[in-house]
Amino acid sequence: MADNDIKKVEPGEHKEVTRRQFITGVGGVGMGLALGGFLVKGFFLPEEVFAVPASEGYLLVDTKKCAGCETCMLMCSLVHEGVSNINLSRIQIIQNPFGKYPDDIAQQQCRQCPYPSCVDACPTGAMHVDTANGNIRTVDASKCIGCERCIEACPFTPSRALWNYEDKHAFKCDLCADTPYWNKEGGPGGVQACVQACPTKAITYTGELPVQSDVGYIVNLRNSHWATINFPTD
Amino acid sequence: MSKRALIGVTVALAFALGLAYAVRVAAAEGSELLFDSGWFLVLVAPFAGVLAAGLTERKDPRVEGDKVLRHDGAAILEHWTHGIGTAFLLASGIALGFLFVPSLLGGGQPTWAAMNVHFVAVIMFLFGTFYYGTNTLLSWHRFREHLPTKNAFSFTAAHYGHLLGIKKYEMPPEDKYFESEKMAYILALATTLTIIVTGLLKVGAHIVALPAGLMGAATLLHDVATVGMLAFFLAHVFFGAILPMSWPVLRSMFTGYISVEQAQKEHAGWYARLPRKSDASS
Repeated sequence: MADNDIKKVEPGEHKEVTRRQFITGVGGVGMGLALGGFLVKGFFLPEEVFAVPASEGYLLVDTKKCAGCETCMLMCSLVHEGVSNINLSRIQIIQNPFGKYPDDIAQQQCRQCPYPSCVDACPTGAMHVDTANGNIRTVDASKCIGCERCIEACPFTPSRALWNYEDKHAFKCDLCADTPYWNKEGGPGGVQACVQACPTKAITYTGELPVQSDVGYIVNLRNSHWATINFPTD
Repeated sequence: MSKRALIGVTVALAFALGLAYAVRVAAAEGSELLFDSGWFLVLVAPFAGVLAAGLTERKDPRVEGDKVLRHDGAAILEHWTHGIGTAFLLASGIALGFLFVPSLLGGGQPTWAAMNVHFVAVIMFLFGTFYYGTNTLLSWHRFREHLPTKNAFSFTAAHYGHLLGIKKYEMPPEDKYFESEKMAYILALATTLTIIVTGLLKVGAHIVALPAGLMGAATLLHDVATVGMLAFFLAHVFFGAILPMSWPVLRSMFTGYISVEQAQKEHAGWYARLPRKSDASS
C-alpha cells in the first residue's frame, strides 16, 4: 500500500485525522474563506469610493507672456534629475511654428487635478496623493512598474504624467517637493524652479483651487509694463 | 472520454477562455486591471491546488507488461498547469519589460492586455505549483527522487560522455530523472519559490499600501528569478521536447507510459526497483 493511499477507517477503530484529511480541510476552508470574502465584499459591503483631498498648490501660466525659451523645462530637469534635458522636464512648452500669436506657444503644466485620473489608474499606488506634502499628485518611482497607465489616463494632451526613459519609470510635476539637485524648499507653500527661472514671469504659483478649465489655469500675469512695449495686456 | 482527458480539456478550455477575457476586458474603456478586480482569485488558486491534491489518489510507477507507468494523472496535471502557466508568465512578463530589458509593448491597451494575461497565467501557475507542492508533502519520496544524489557529477559525465561517443564512458544506471535533470531541478525550485513569494507581495501591493523599499526589492528579486526561470524553461523545453531522443519521454507526459526498452536503456537504476503490476499498489 503506497504511503499516500486514502486510509479506510474500520468500524470501531479510533478515528484520527490523517495528514491527507488535514490538507484537504485546509484547502477547502481556504477556498471557502477566499470566495466568501469576495462575495461579502462584492455584495454586502458598500462600493469603494475614490476620494482624494485637493492639492494645496497649483501652477498657473500666461501663454501670452511665454517666449518659448524653454528655461522652465531646463530648470525642471536640472533640479529633479541633475541634467538639463527637455525630455526629462515635467512642464512642457509646445511651439507651433505655423501658429499666430498667442496660439503659437502653449505651456503644458500639470493641473494637480481634484480628480486625479493618473492616481486612479495606477495599479500599484506608485502614482499617489502625497498627504505629507500638500496632497501633491506624484510618483513613487520605486513602486512604478512601468505599465504607463497613468500616462494613458491623463485627460490632457500631451499627458502630464511622463515617461522617464533613462530610469524606466513614470514621473510628473510635484511642485518641486522633491528636488535633490536644488537647495530650496519646494512643494506647496515653497518655491518652484520653473516659477523662479522664467525670465518673463509667465508662470506663477497659487494655493487656491483654480476653476477647472483653461480659464482657471491660463491667467493674465501681464502688468502695465507690457503695454509700454506694445504687448496686449488683456 | 477518459477522466484524464476530460480534466485536461476542461482546464485547457478554462485557461483559453480566461486569456480571451483578459485581452477583451483590457480593450474596454476605463476597465480595471484583473490584478485589481480579481485579486481574490490569487488566494483561491493555491487553496484549490491544495484541495485538489487532498482529493487525488496517486499511482506509483510500476511495470505493466511491455510498458512502464512513469507519470500518473496527477503528475501530468501538475506538470502541464505549472508549465503552461510558466510559459505565459514568461511571455507576458518579458513583454512588459524587466531589469534592463525595455517593454516590448506600447503603452495603454497592449500593456494592460499583457498584465491581464499575466494575471490569468498566475492563477494557472499557482494552482499547478500548489497542487504539486501539496502532492509532494503527502508523498515525500516524490520530492526525494527529484533531488541530486552523490552520483550527480559522475553519472552526468558518464551519461553525456557516452552520448558524445567517448569510449571510456558507459550509460550509468540513471534514476527516474537523470542526475543532470535533478541538478536543474534545484534552479527550478529556487526560482519558483522566489517568484511566488515576491509575486504575492506585488499582488498584495494592489490591495494594501506596502513600503516602497520592500516593493523595490520584491520587483528586483522577481525580475532576477525570471532570468533563472527562463534559463531553466528554455533548457527544459529543448532537452525535453525538441530533441528527438526525448520524444518518448515527452509522450509519457501525455499518456503516462514509456516502453520497457526505454526504461531499461535510459533509466536502468529506476527500472530495477520498479514493482510489477500484479504485486504493486494501485
